[in-house]
Amino acid sequence: MANTRRKNRIVAALLFTVAGGMVGMAFAAVPLYQWFCQITGFAGTTNVARAPAAAVRPSTKTITVRFDANVDRDLPWRFQPEQSEITVHASEPTLAFYKAANGSDRAITGTATFNVSPHKAGVYFSKIDCFCFTEQRLAAGEEAEMTVQFFVDPGIFEDPNTKELTAITLSYTFFRVPGSDGKNAVQSAAPRPRRPIKG
Amino acid sequence: MLGVLFTTGGALASGRAEPWQMWFQPAASPVMERILEFHNIIFVIEVGIVALVLGLLCYVVIRFNAKANPVPSTTTHNTLLEVIWTGIPMLILIVIAVPSLKLLYYADRFEKAEMTLKITGNQWYWTYTYPDRGGFKFDSFLVPDNELKKGQPRLLTVDNPVILPAGTNIRLLFTSADVIHDWAIPSLGLKLDAVQGRINESWVHINAEGDYYGMCSELCGVNHGFMPIHIKAVSKDAFAAWVEKAKKNFAAADGDARVRRAEAGPGAAAR
Amino acid sequence: MADHAAADGDHGHDHHPTGWRRWVYSTNHKDIGTMYMVLSMFAALVGGSMSMLIRLELMNPGIQYFADFQFYNVLVTGHGFIMVFFVVMPALIGGFGNWFVPLMIGAPDMAFPRMNNVSFWLVAAAFVMLMVSAFTQGGPGTGWTVYPPLSNATYHPGAAVDIGILSLHLAGVSSILGAINFIVTIFNMRAPGLTVHRMPLFCWSILVTSFLLLLAIPVLAGGLTMLLTDRNFGTTFFEASGGGDPVLWQHLFWFFGHPEVYIIIIPAFGIISQVVSTFARKPIFGYLGMAYAMVFIGFVGFVVWAHHMYTAGLDADTRAYFVAATLVIAVPTGIKIFSWLATMWGGSIDFHAPMMFACGFIFLFVVGGVTGVALANSGLDLAWHDTYFVVAHFHYVMAIAAVFGMFAGFYYWIGKMSGRMYPSVLAKIHFWAFFVGVNLVFFPQHFLGIAGMPRRIPDYPDAYAGWNYVSSVGTFITSASALLFFFIVWRTLTAGSKAEDNPWGEGAKTLEWSVPSPAPFHTHEDLPDLTGKQPAE
Repeated sequence: MANTRRKNRIVAALLFTVAGGMVGMAFAAVPLYQWFCQITGFAGTTNVARAPAAAVRPSTKTITVRFDANVDRDLPWRFQPEQSEITVHASEPTLAFYKAANGSDRAITGTATFNVSPHKAGVYFSKIDCFCFTEQRLAAGEEAEMTVQFFVDPGIFEDPNTKELTAITLSYTFFRVPGSDGKNAVQSAAPRPRRPIKG
Repeated sequence: MLGVLFTTGGALASGRAEPWQMWFQPAASPVMERILEFHNIIFVIEVGIVALVLGLLCYVVIRFNAKANPVPSTTTHNTLLEVIWTGIPMLILIVIAVPSLKLLYYADRFEKAEMTLKITGNQWYWTYTYPDRGGFKFDSFLVPDNELKKGQPRLLTVDNPVILPAGTNIRLLFTSADVIHDWAIPSLGLKLDAVQGRINESWVHINAEGDYYGMCSELCGVNHGFMPIHIKAVSKDAFAAWVEKAKKNFAAADGDARVRRAEAGPGAAAR
Repeated sequence: MADHAAADGDHGHDHHPTGWRRWVYSTNHKDIGTMYMVLSMFAALVGGSMSMLIRLELMNPGIQYFADFQFYNVLVTGHGFIMVFFVVMPALIGGFGNWFVPLMIGAPDMAFPRMNNVSFWLVAAAFVMLMVSAFTQGGPGTGWTVYPPLSNATYHPGAAVDIGILSLHLAGVSSILGAINFIVTIFNMRAPGLTVHRMPLFCWSILVTSFLLLLAIPVLAGGLTMLLTDRNFGTTFFEASGGGDPVLWQHLFWFFGHPEVYIIIIPAFGIISQVVSTFARKPIFGYLGMAYAMVFIGFVGFVVWAHHMYTAGLDADTRAYFVAATLVIAVPTGIKIFSWLATMWGGSIDFHAPMMFACGFIFLFVVGGVTGVALANSGLDLAWHDTYFVVAHFHYVMAIAAVFGMFAGFYYWIGKMSGRMYPSVLAKIHFWAFFVGVNLVFFPQHFLGIAGMPRRIPDYPDAYAGWNYVSSVGTFITSASALLFFFIVWRTLTAGSKAEDNPWGEGAKTLEWSVPSPAPFHTHEDLPDLTGKQPAE
C-alpha cells in the first residue's frame, strides 16, 4: 500500500513537471518565435546587415522594391513614402525616404513595425540602416524625413521559391509609444466614421 | 443543378450566392477555377467513402443482427484486411495531396502584376488605396437596408465599390487599422487576413467584367457581419478613365486617411 | 499481492458520508463522476439555449431579436466554450472516465481521490465564472478563439475577457489535475495480471486523452496569461505596437486547440469500442491496432495546428507541410472505422439503444471526417475558411458524433450507475428524433458554407435564407429530442426497471459488469486477480 502510494507520488511529480515544462515552452515560444522569424525570414521578417559582402558586385538582375506606409489611429501623424517604388540591382545599397509629420499640438514619440511582402522575400532583404531601429520623436507640427538604407541579396534570384518575383513591398506601420506625450496608456481608438447598419 | 455542379466557370458569373444554392458560386478567376477542379476530385472521394461505410453498415445491420446470425464468430484479426485498409487510404491521400499542393502553390505565385490594390480593414468598413495610381484612397461602407435602391442586394451593397480592371494580374496587399479582418470573395477564390502591423499579400486575376461580392471573414466586433466587399470589374479602358476621375475625387493633398464619399464611378450608382 | 486498497487516504470501509458532505467533500470516484454528469447536463441546457437563440435569429433574414450584436457575439462565444469545456469534456472524461476507469482496471478508486474532488469543484467554479463574464461590462464577444487585437484591452475594455480568461485557467487546472490522476491510476493501479495491452479500449482512450490534456492545456494557460498581462499589465506579446504579433496568439491557441478536439473525440472512440464489442458479442477486431491508432492520432494531433490558420498569412511551404500532416490523421482514423465494422461483421448484434447510437456514431463521424479531409487542403480552405462549411464540419464531429458517443455511454452504463434501466421504447424514439434533428440542423450548413456564407454573423444576404430556415427548424426537433432525453433520465431514475449486474449478456466482458448494479460505494476493495485470464476487452 505504501509502495503504491509512493509510486503514485513519483509519477504524479513527473507529470506535474511535464505540465510545468509545457507552460515554460509557451513562454519560450515568444523569443523562440522571434529568433525563428529572424533566421528564416518567416512572415516577411527582414535582416539587419552592415553592408553587402564585399566580394559580391552589384548584379545585372533587378527587382522592384515598393514602399508602403501605415499609421495607427492613435498616432496623429502623417506618414508617407517619398517614392512609390525603386528598381534596384541585387547587392546594391539603396537609400529610400519616408516623410513623417506630427499634425498635433504636442510632441509625440512613435515607433515603427515593418515587414516585407511576399513574406518569403524577407530573408533576402537586409537593412543597413533604418529609422525603424529607433524610436522617433517629433515636436508639435514638426516634419521629418526618415531614411532606410537596404539591399536585396542576389540569392533571391537563385532560390526556386523566390526567383519568379518581380516586386517586393516594404511596409511600415507607425505606432505611438505610450506615455511619450503625457498620456498614460494606449487610449481607446479615436472615434471612427460610423454608418448605421440597420434598415 | 448537376450541370452547374461540375462546371468550372458558369456562363452566368453571378458573383454572389443564389437562393437555395448548394454549390460554389461560379468561378470568376483562374484560382477559383482550379479550386473547383480540385474539389471535384475531393468530392468524388468523399462521397465514395461515405457510401462505402454506409453500405457496409447497412449490410452488417441486416446480415448480422441477432436473429439473422445467432452465433457470433470469434475473428479478431485478418492481417491482409488490416494492410488493405491502411494502405488504400494512404494511396488515396497521396492522390489528394499532389493536386492539393499544386493548387496551393498556384494560388501563392503569380506572374508580373500590372497594378496593386491595397486593402485596409477597419471596424467596420474597408479602405481601398491605389498606390501606383497616385495613392488615392477611399472608404467603402455597407449601405443600410433603408437606403438601398431597387435591386441592390441587402447586406452586400456598398457606397463605394472597388473598381478593378478585368483580365489583369493585380497584386493585393492587406493590412488592418485595428483588429484582424479578412477580405474574402468566394467567386474569385480569394481570402486573406488583414492584420495590423503587417502586410499580407495575394493576387487576383478577374476573368470577366461584372460584380463580385464578399463579406468580412474574421470576427472583428459587433458589425462584423456588416462590412461587405463589392468589386466592380470593368474593361481596362474604363478603368483608366475611372482612375483619372477618382484621382480628383479622392486624392487628399496631405495623404490623411479621411473618409471620401463616392462621386460617380463607372456604374457606381447602379446595382 | 492482492492487497488491501492502495488508494491514498482511504480508511473506513463500513460507512460513507451522507447528506451534502457526501457530495461537497467527496473522494469517491463514482460520486464525483455523477457530479460531473449532472454539471454536464445542466451546462448542456445553458449552452443549448444559447444555440437556440442564435438559430432563432438566423432563421430568417433581417434582425428579429438582437438589438445588441455584442450580445450575439457573446452568445456565440459562450456557446462554444460551454459545449467544449462544460458539456462534452465533463461528461466523457470527468463523468464516464471517473466512473469506469477504476472499475475496469480493478482499482478501488483513483490514485488521488482528494485531487479528484478539487478537479470537479474547479470546473464548477469555472462554469460560474464564465457565466459571470458573459454579463460583465458587455461580455466577451470574441468567439471561443479569443483572437487579439479584438480580445485586448483596446477593443474589449472592461473585465469581461479577464474573467473569461480566469474561468479558462480554472478549467485548465482542473483538467491537468484530472489528467495526472488518470495517468497515475492507469499506470500504477491496474489489478495484478491486467497488463496495459489487455485493458479495455475505453481505458486506453482515457489514457491517451490524459496525455493530450497534460501537454496541450499548459500551452493554452501560457497564452491566456500573456493575453491577461497584455490586457492589464502593459506587456505587448500580441500587440504590433510593442513589437508583438497577433498571429503568435493564433499559434499558441491552436497548438492547444487542435489536440483539444481529439481530447473531445477520443474518449467517445473508447466508448464506441466497448459498446460495439458488447452488442456484437465479439471482441474488438484488431485490439492493438485500435489502441495504437488512438495513440497515433493523439501524437499527430500535436503537429497539425496551423490548418486553422491557412488564411492568416503563412508561407506557402509552411502551409504545404500542414496540409500533408493533417491528411495523415485520416489513416489511423480510417483504421478505427473499419475495425468497428469488422467487429460487427460476423457478430450477433442486438440493436439496443447504445448500439443504435454507436452505429449512428460510426456513420456520422465519417461524414464529418471526410469534410475534415477536404478542409485539410489549404487550396480548398481558401474557399471555406470562416464559412459555415467549417461550422458544419466541426458540429458533425463534435455536436453529433461526440454527443452520440455520450448517449451511447449513458444508455450502456446507466443501469450500472443507478441500478435502473432506461425505458427502451422511449430511448429508440430519442435516437431517431435526435438523429433527424441534428442532421437537419447541420447538413444544410454545408451548402451555406460552399455558397460563401461567413461564420459568426447575426444576419445574412437574402440568398442564404432558405437553408438557414431549414437548419433552424432542425433546432426545434433537436430541442424536443433533448427534452425527451431529460424525461428519459428522470423516468429511469424514478421508475426504471431494476438493472441486473450484467444486463447485456455474454458480450459484456469488462470488469464493471462483475460488480453489482448499482455499483456499491466501494468496489474492488480486494483487488481481483486477472493473471492468466482472457483479455478484458
